[in-house]
Amino acid sequence: MLCKDYGRLTAALAASMLLSACGGGGSSGGASSTAAPPSTTPTTTPPAAAAPTVADASRLLEQATFGVTASDLANVQSIGIDAYLAAQLNVAPSQYTGFSYTPHTAPSTCKSDGTPGDAASICARDQYSNFQVQRQFFIHALTGPDQLRQRVAFALSQIFVVSNIEIYEAYGMADYQNMLLKDAFANYRTLLQDVTLSPVMGHYLDMANNAKTNAAAGTEPNENYGREVLQLMSIGVNALNADGSLQLDSSGAPIPTYDQAVVDGFSAIFTGWTYPPLAGATAKWNDPINFDGVMVSVAAQHEPASKLLLDGLTTSANQTPEQDLKTALDDIFNHPNVGPFIGKQLIQHLVTSNPSAAYVARISAVFANNGQGVRGDLGAVVTAILTDPEARGDAPTATDYGHLREPAEFVTAPIRSLGGQSDGVYLESASAAMGQPIYGAPSVFNYYPPSNLLPGTSTLAPEFAIANAATALARANFINTVIVQGGVAADPTVTGSTGTSIPLNSFAATTDPTALVAQFNQTLMHGSLSAQASAIIASAVASQNAATPLAGAQTAAYLILSSGQYQVER
Amino acid sequence: MKRRSFLCHAGALAGTAALGQLGSLAVSAGTGNDYKALVCIFLAGGNDSNNMIVPVDTAGYANYATVRGDLALPQAGLLPLQEAGGVLRYGLHPNLSGLQSLWSSGSLAVVANVGTLVQPLTKAQYLSTATQKPESLFSHIDQQHEMQASIASVSSNTGWGGRLSDQLAAMNLNASVPPMISTGGNNLFVTGAASQALVIPTSGSFGLNGFTSSAGDTARRSALESLLNVDQGADLVAAAENVMTGALSSSAVLNPILTASAPTVAAPFAGLTTSIAKQLLAIAKVIEARATLGAQRQVFLAVLGSFDTHTDQINQQGSLFSQLDPALTAFHTAMADIGAGSDVTSFTLSDFSRTFQPNTGGGSDHAWGSHQLVIGDAVKGQVVYGTMPELALGSPDDEGNEGRWIPSIAVDQYAATLSSWFGASPSALSLVLPNLSAFPAAPPAFL
Repeated sequence: MLCKDYGRLTAALAASMLLSACGGGGSSGGASSTAAPPSTTPTTTPPAAAAPTVADASRLLEQATFGVTASDLANVQSIGIDAYLAAQLNVAPSQYTGFSYTPHTAPSTCKSDGTPGDAASICARDQYSNFQVQRQFFIHALTGPDQLRQRVAFALSQIFVVSNIEIYEAYGMADYQNMLLKDAFANYRTLLQDVTLSPVMGHYLDMANNAKTNAAAGTEPNENYGREVLQLMSIGVNALNADGSLQLDSSGAPIPTYDQAVVDGFSAIFTGWTYPPLAGATAKWNDPINFDGVMVSVAAQHEPASKLLLDGLTTSANQTPEQDLKTALDDIFNHPNVGPFIGKQLIQHLVTSNPSAAYVARISAVFANNGQGVRGDLGAVVTAILTDPEARGDAPTATDYGHLREPAEFVTAPIRSLGGQSDGVYLESASAAMGQPIYGAPSVFNYYPPSNLLPGTSTLAPEFAIANAATALARANFINTVIVQGGVAADPTVTGSTGTSIPLNSFAATTDPTALVAQFNQTLMHGSLSAQASAIIASAVASQNAATPLAGAQTAAYLILSSGQYQVER
Repeated sequence: MKRRSFLCHAGALAGTAALGQLGSLAVSAGTGNDYKALVCIFLAGGNDSNNMIVPVDTAGYANYATVRGDLALPQAGLLPLQEAGGVLRYGLHPNLSGLQSLWSSGSLAVVANVGTLVQPLTKAQYLSTATQKPESLFSHIDQQHEMQASIASVSSNTGWGGRLSDQLAAMNLNASVPPMISTGGNNLFVTGAASQALVIPTSGSFGLNGFTSSAGDTARRSALESLLNVDQGADLVAAAENVMTGALSSSAVLNPILTASAPTVAAPFAGLTTSIAKQLLAIAKVIEARATLGAQRQVFLAVLGSFDTHTDQINQQGSLFSQLDPALTAFHTAMADIGAGSDVTSFTLSDFSRTFQPNTGGGSDHAWGSHQLVIGDAVKGQVVYGTMPELALGSPDDEGNEGRWIPSIAVDQYAATLSSWFGASPSALSLVLPNLSAFPAAPPAFL
């Protein structure tokens, strides 16, 4: 599951995608997109575009939101894809609210004692676990007006990973995710610095209180953040071409982007930072854990020696922590790998697991220059990803196109599209059972790696790293609960709890099985359900008790939502 | 993967394991006379094995303690591993008392300094740019990949457990479940050329909810299964459908076994609530049902994470070992209780060990060769196999000067011993471990 075989994949991908990608040929959706960078920047006036087709507009919303709604669909059809995206870039973030500092060690009056609903348990649940943050995640995903920002921030949270396994304090996780929401369309350089100086990341990957070399004790700086910021958050382990393919040396081997000496260099760069002081306190080395604010420097604990960075760059000795940080983050930011490395992952999160090399190259070009000479404009990158010809069209035909809906999207989309509601409590437990506890990845390597392959093939399929018998049953059983069993009741221990429910009464009014299936097909999957599958489902609907029309609607919705065709967004 | 290949690797299960046919499976069960299982315990994140096996002789401990500093375990707490002939060189981490008992009873062996290699490697060769070295050393994901592949390149797409299962498929023709089962999610180790492990949950039901015997539900269930056979032209759609197909057939067989009220193997696990204990209990339940399930060669994978101890190494690893030790001990007892003590061999793997030199944060960083544990009544125990590295920074075993040991035993050789015991013929072994011939030394003879 852990392959990184970009090189071998590229040829096969290029061949297949050249033949069959961009299935929107002939659709007006294809015509509405602006293909060639750098003209994709939203700040320029887009050319007059024909209204997108229903299917293409619906596909855009599957990629850019947590589920297609009738009102969003009408809006996109009315104003066009470019205008919709431009507007989304400017919607303010729906932020995590209601959290405040708590000491890292829970007070003795606040513990999980197995008594649901008592004060001690609620304190442990609401302040010393991510429960309320996860709940708010789903509320934002279901109802936030900033849908694209929420989708992109969630994708970024899977690249710049922190996990509630260590960040269990709700206020800390809220702070960090608010930062990602703020930076979702900002410049990558801003994001990189905000992540680096976040005390939450500082805690998770040990940059906080990372001390300089101590010769007397025989110790050297902690290498955790220095290594992973390179490997996972910016450039990756091997040199890439702009199209995402591996650069190879004369013997055909990949070319490492850094070695242990460079990891040592970055580890030394990231010394001399501690947690922000608590209110009223003075900053000092080994400040206690505090996630509010940004980390502060303590120059006396910063490694004074010169550091080796990427591609032979060395820093001057005796720079301040801030000077070293700027040198190092600029070095990373300007590495040519960042565009294809980050761009390809964002494509995989939003559009398709197997983008063509040309698609990746177009996004890399926008990362390098947003059309106004600016490198790293994430808003322009996201816009380019979603307006690319390979993203648009009514019905892509490449056999390796699309991606498995990740659990968070799988549990929210039916609720948004079918007019349901949820307080997020059940959605979190359901998503976790499918392998995706929100903000709870098992390690900094996320729930699944971008390089994951379908077993025995060279087809990239990141989300399939958490697709297995246990999680497949969890998906079907979730649909059973919300569609067939009537949902989940409110939790009396949660203030404002409403449970989770999806009313299907309006669909029950359609009594003709074929018409009913067609209605769900349009609502849930832009009419892409095959005729063969539609017929199977209509037959099952016809077998339901006619005296209870709801049974027919439940049958149709259950079978569509649990199908492979629905679960893979194409 | 297309449906046909899935059915191929799924063996007989699709044909025989419809709902309610468990009884008939028992009738066609294997003899039970020839059964073996390998259980991989993957210590994810990189287990600092410098603190798992520690020198206890005076000079050796003094050297260890000098370099390890705050990470040095107190000498008095180390659990002696007396070797055959009365030699005492090493001690176990103090939280591994159950494993010390297994050592004393001859059911535990230590294999020293195992890791990813392209060929036998000296320090001089390592420092030469002309010598082939494993790709992306010291990187979690890549070294996990290479340890599970037993190929020192990140481009392999099968694991050695998977290839071993492929080679022994003829032993599992009567099996009603896939030959590989994981309680630790999808992993390369249990991915073969055309097969993938069944991933089972360790608590709750492993079944499909919401179907009664009503006519309407029967029609819905029938449609659900029919839908799994259509529209396989799209790769990812086909993959999703195939996962569900396997889930439906396997869960029908295994759910009654996993949720049975009082299997024999449960008793040794009484009171254990950790993830690794639950995983090993689930695996033990499957093994207890081996005659019913009909498989004669099963490969299992359990995963215990959080070994990435860049900080607070002493407490974090201590806590993890406190979870691991009783779980492994209970599993060994459970296997003996069902008469499978000699038929089941458990063994560890990890991403890598960690730097012998501590960092300034009370932890250690990513390194290379690591010591492994092998457990079972078939194990030739009370022996440390291989050569311990010279525990000095910059020593001939150190790739640099922070204590990253160049492995003296390739994971290929370690896997060869396990695979041969499992039943791989020499010709099969060359397919399971395609790079084994690069290592002329005989594999360590711990089985």
